[in-house]
Amino acid sequence: MTPSQHDPVPPRTHGSDAVPGTPADRSAVGPRGVSRRSFISTLGASGAAAALGGQAEARLAAPIEDGPVVLGPEPVEVALTINGRAVKTKLDPATTLLDALRLNLQMTGSKEVCDRGSCGGCSVLVDGRLVASCMMLALDAVGHDITTIEGLAQGDTLDPIQEAFVRYDAFQCGFCTPGMIMACKALLNETPKPTMEQIRKGLSGNICRCGAYTNVFSAVLEASDQAVPVDQPVPADHTDGGGA
Amino acid sequence: MTPQDAHPISSRGSGAEQIPTRMPTANRPQNAGKTVNGDTSRLESVAKVTGAAKYGRDMQAPGMVWVRGIRCPWGNARLIGHDADAAKAVPGVVDVVVTGDTGEYNGDAVGYLLAENKLALSRGLRALRARWERLPCRTGIDAREAVLSVSDKAENALLFADHVLEAEYSTPVQTHSALETHGMMIDHQGDAAVVYASTQGTFAVADEIASFLSLPRNKFEVRCEHVGGGFGAKFQIGKEGAFAGNVASSLKRPVYSFCDRKEEHLDTGNRPSALVKVRVGFSKDGTVLGGQIGVWGGVGVATRGGDAAIPSGRYEFGVIERSMTNVSFNGGAPRAMRAPGHPQGAFAEELMLDEIATIAGVDPLELRIRLDKDETKARQAMYRLGAEMIGWKDRQPTGSQSGVVRRGFGVGSTSWRALRGPCDIEIAVHRDGSAELRTGTQDIGTGQRTACAVLAAERLSIPLELVSVAIGSSRLPNGPASGGSVTSPSSAPAVLAAAADAERQLMEIVAQQIGGAGTDYRLRNGKIVRGEEAVMGWNELCRRLPSESLVGRGTWDGRGSPYFQKGNSNGVQFVEVEVDSETGVVQVKRVIAFQACGRIICRKTAESQIIGGVIQGISYALFEDKLLDRQTGAMVNPNLEWYRILGANDMPTIEPVLWMDAEQTGVRGLGEPPVVPTAGAVAAAVFNAVGTPVRSLPIRPDRVLAAVEAAAVAGVAKGGAS
Ligand code: FES
Ligand code: FES
Repeated sequence: MTPSQHDPVPPRTHGSDAVPGTPADRSAVGPRGVSRRSFISTLGASGAAAALGGQAEARLAAPIEDGPVVLGPEPVEVALTINGRAVKTKLDPATTLLDALRLNLQMTGSKEVCDRGSCGGCSVLVDGRLVASCMMLALDAVGHDITTIEGLAQGDTLDPIQEAFVRYDAFQCGFCTPGMIMACKALLNETPKPTMEQIRKGLSGNICRCGAYTNVFSAVLEASDQAVPVDQPVPADHTDGGGA
Repeated sequence: MTPQDAHPISSRGSGAEQIPTRMPTANRPQNAGKTVNGDTSRLESVAKVTGAAKYGRDMQAPGMVWVRGIRCPWGNARLIGHDADAAKAVPGVVDVVVTGDTGEYNGDAVGYLLAENKLALSRGLRALRARWERLPCRTGIDAREAVLSVSDKAENALLFADHVLEAEYSTPVQTHSALETHGMMIDHQGDAAVVYASTQGTFAVADEIASFLSLPRNKFEVRCEHVGGGFGAKFQIGKEGAFAGNVASSLKRPVYSFCDRKEEHLDTGNRPSALVKVRVGFSKDGTVLGGQIGVWGGVGVATRGGDAAIPSGRYEFGVIERSMTNVSFNGGAPRAMRAPGHPQGAFAEELMLDEIATIAGVDPLELRIRLDKDETKARQAMYRLGAEMIGWKDRQPTGSQSGVVRRGFGVGSTSWRALRGPCDIEIAVHRDGSAELRTGTQDIGTGQRTACAVLAAERLSIPLELVSVAIGSSRLPNGPASGGSVTSPSSAPAVLAAAADAERQLMEIVAQQIGGAGTDYRLRNGKIVRGEEAVMGWNELCRRLPSESLVGRGTWDGRGSPYFQKGNSNGVQFVEVEVDSETGVVQVKRVIAFQACGRIICRKTAESQIIGGVIQGISYALFEDKLLDRQTGAMVNPNLEWYRILGANDMPTIEPVLWMDAEQTGVRGLGEPPVVPTAGAVAAAVFNAVGTPVRSLPIRPDRVLAAVEAAAVAGVAKGGAS
């Protein structure tokens, strides 16, 4: 993994540079430059309108040259590609990708925890890269491949990272788990055999209040086919069950 | 699918790259393996890793109305105006209900707003333009008002002391910060309702919400199949629940009322702040003779609940005169939080012990071994083994290091009294050979569901795969709320009783079919045996059930079961830290957590409880602090970036050691005990590294730098004098 690939998920660090630069920055990740404007001008009016669905077409067709496009307040139709499937829904243009998933599409695997990019609970992949879906408008996700936690398993077959989470008990309440798994997935996509440093860094945008990190780390090692170090022997005369 | 295959046990690596760890295999209590399949994964694992698990927050119903409180933005303020019409004019806003006009703390609610959707909710609140007049407020404990009163008893103890330590320890307000916020979705349809709550007390919610819903108990059900953490804050319905109940009963439609992250920090409880003042005398060898300990607990707008458990009772402190004062101020009220009162007390107590040891010139571990009162001697053994494991012999004397990066070692102890409550369990055995265990209690991440299934399968002597668990519903048999580490110790005896009852009924059937008395037979390894002889298979027996299912019932009133045992869950934690004396940054490198745990039902979930407790303890020690602005009383960090919680990058290697005393056979809950000693042990380790104690949590870089500075000054003074 090159340093630049690290950028999307800056680490939580200590001290003076403690908080800023942590997960909030992830809002910047993902489809670069896909502000509503540039996205529309890139695609051209008809492309954008097609992507947004029929209803928005008339509204978009005219003003593209000479000013901001105004969407809403009425719901607009959008077409999204989620877990390889094209889905359509109607939503308020101010709707985040997270709310579109949870409220419009009833895909509640992605969780709302902080709603401002600081916890990773809502993590999804957009074109394979990690994104805090609470920090992205649903409209900005149009034309991109979105992968959510619901899209990882193939039928009854779990993704290796999901299986490793199960085996290592990498969660307690499980509320951070969908986001944590997506972050692991993004990390493993970019770095098939991450070092411990890379694992810590790659997961530093995801908060787990129950404190399952230890087991999450083990799960990542296991899912990336890395040897998990053997036991540290305990002093010999204490191996009788620990008791006094 | 629940992968049952054994997995390698990871452990601490050697060299630079520390690998997070589980308990060393050799240290695993022998009988844990006998009791259960030590590698059982949580029953709900697959639902949790695929996103299929539905939490309260995930529930929706057509026509659902959204609720959010109108909350006071200041520490103390009067609502002097708002524009309800403008708010109602916002498309999607249903109604504005203002019920009060004063807010006594930031987050206090004076009413609520209803809307058809989430966006209208925030737009409506903005349009409401609530205007507030700020009033004077108080934002915490004023140390100047906290004065230790002189007592004769304490003075007498101090008379014979060689040294007297006077110190002041303080801890911040900590919020529970469960990732699933508080609230509920009430699916109100016709004259019935299902309440999907995020709670750690299914039945407590049922009791409380009943009066709001005005529905008889047979017309509504409280459900919580999955709960995104509780940590003590989710026993009550709170304002968000009261609003939801009111709205559901008046509009007769589904209601969605969950706090956002800010409300969660402001108004759903916290671990109260504490100020502990000590004045203790001790002899040359560090033996504590007694003195005075005063606790001031910062309880926000509440009037009680601020006590800190010091002295903890674990150490011999001679004659202690103790006082406790609750200090009210303009802040949210506390609620129980994972071992209420204990981490704050242990922080002061453990650091105080290290200070005493340093002044007396004795090893702080030796001092603890000397002062520890544990009659079971479990902690004595833990002290010794832990010292060996962490390399205590490499510990440098406190204040002796001068490098940039300084290493420190600390130790702390814990004990948690075995508590219990009544519990009912049903186990239904079906004709197809499957069994369903039913309990109304909830699994908030503790592994309760799994523990019940494992015990039932063991007692019925059938494969775990045959057992499913229905949990988290007020329609299911009564069970305890998850607090005080009571859930598993209370459930276990009832599970065993239910399984025994099922077995008794099943054996009657066997006797009817092939003769003899029911007592001639019993279940073993999926078979029915008479003596050593197998007479029938489990599946065959089930096929022959006279009706579709047979229900075994178990009730436990909290007394007389081999699966419950009085006494303490003892523990000791060793901590190793690295302190950068130039930046003030503390890195916890390694924690060894010994925890007496009674009979282990499920090793993985038990270890996860311990690891999680330690992590919350470190987070409390180094990062967490609910900050109120002194001028306005507004919380300045009501989010998850400035209210900092330990993350992956801060993780030490944690080695949980499940400890079983020979005489302990009862089932123990592990929610609270492991969170108690960590912050104190971390503080002791930082003191060891730096040479001057940081007596306030969180141990922030600025406080560490001040301590480093103070140590340097003291060193110069000493050097100059000699
Ligand atoms: S980062 Fe999106 S909910 Fe926290
Ligand atoms: S498992 Fe509960 S927050 Fe991570």
